[in-house]
Amino acid sequence: MSMDQWQAALRDVTGITGVIGALLVSVDDGLVIVETAMEDLATADVAALSAALVNRAIRCTNAMAGPAPQTLYLVGERGALLAVAGRAPLWLVAVARSDAELGRLRLSMRDFADELQ
Amino acid sequence: MAFLELGERLRQRGQYAAAATVALAGLIHFPAAADAHDLIARIRADQGDDAAAAAAWHATLECDPDHVGARKGLAFIAFRARDFATAERNLDGAAMRAPHDPSILGALDRVRSVQRNVDVGDAVPLADPAGGVLLFDMQGMRLAGGIGDTADVSVADAVSAEGAGLSREAGRAARLLNLGALQHLVIETADARIAMIPVGTGAALLLHRSAVTPLGRLLALGLRAGQAAADWLERLA
Repeated sequence: MSMDQWQAALRDVTGITGVIGALLVSVDDGLVIVETAMEDLATADVAALSAALVNRAIRCTNAMAGPAPQTLYLVGERGALLAVAGRAPLWLVAVARSDAELGRLRLSMRDFADELQ
Repeated sequence: MAFLELGERLRQRGQYAAAATVALAGLIHFPAAADAHDLIARIRADQGDDAAAAAAWHATLECDPDHVGARKGLAFIAFRARDFATAERNLDGAAMRAPHDPSILGALDRVRSVQRNVDVGDAVPLADPAGGVLLFDMQGMRLAGGIGDTADVSVADAVSAEGAGLSREAGRAARLLNLGALQHLVIETADARIAMIPVGTGAALLLHRSAVTPLGRLLALGLRAGQAAADWLERLA
């Protein structure tokens, strides 16, 4: 996918009710590759924190002698962060409010991540 | 190992004593042959000796932890004893290794449908290291339970150490991204679904199930397990 196509895909993700931002992150260095987000969402912070979280989850599944994580859902009282693996080291990450349609968002993100493989 | 074929044929004909003699003779030469232990287990199960069958299937898993037949067998015995939580756990373990086997998925559905009338709290095996429920403190020390479907506590200790780091990182991300207090974290891999639930401020719980476990069910079980763990910790104090 080209950068423009990704931008369009991320816009589709942020079109889901309650989603306030979506970005493609390199978890090796925690940097944003491409993003679409509301102004008040600090995407650099999202990228760094989601990269740290993904790397911790990888260590955890390694300790279980299991395969690497494919998806992560962090759910808090006021919102959620969803991350789906693409081709290493890329992850598609979305941040959503607590009223977001998380089920739809999950399926939508998995579809886009498949195209990243 | 020709004795396996002969033993199986005898078993299918209902000649259990002869089948057992053949299988046991073969085991003398191949004591680490998982399929030989599995054959003995099936003979014992056919004879109605569930305790001996379970022992043989446990021996099978010691030789080959990925032996799907042994897990299905243990699930069958547990189901017969109306221990539906253990039956589900063993089928879950089988499903992790053979996610597309329709006989396992069908059996899982059957166990779950029977389990509807059973208190889900019974399915929180905190004291069982093979229960797939792991409780650890924020220093990364295991408090109770284990992960996966083996009783190997060294794996559980390693996962506790990493799980505490994961829990801290999840809490930090939730706080800094203004997502509010962490409620849960779910990890999906190719063969498993893992829910991490905070337990109070000083502990967390990991619930490990196969990839065929519905996400909503995983979370419902995880929340109940979290409550059971909180009660358990309170009694400990």
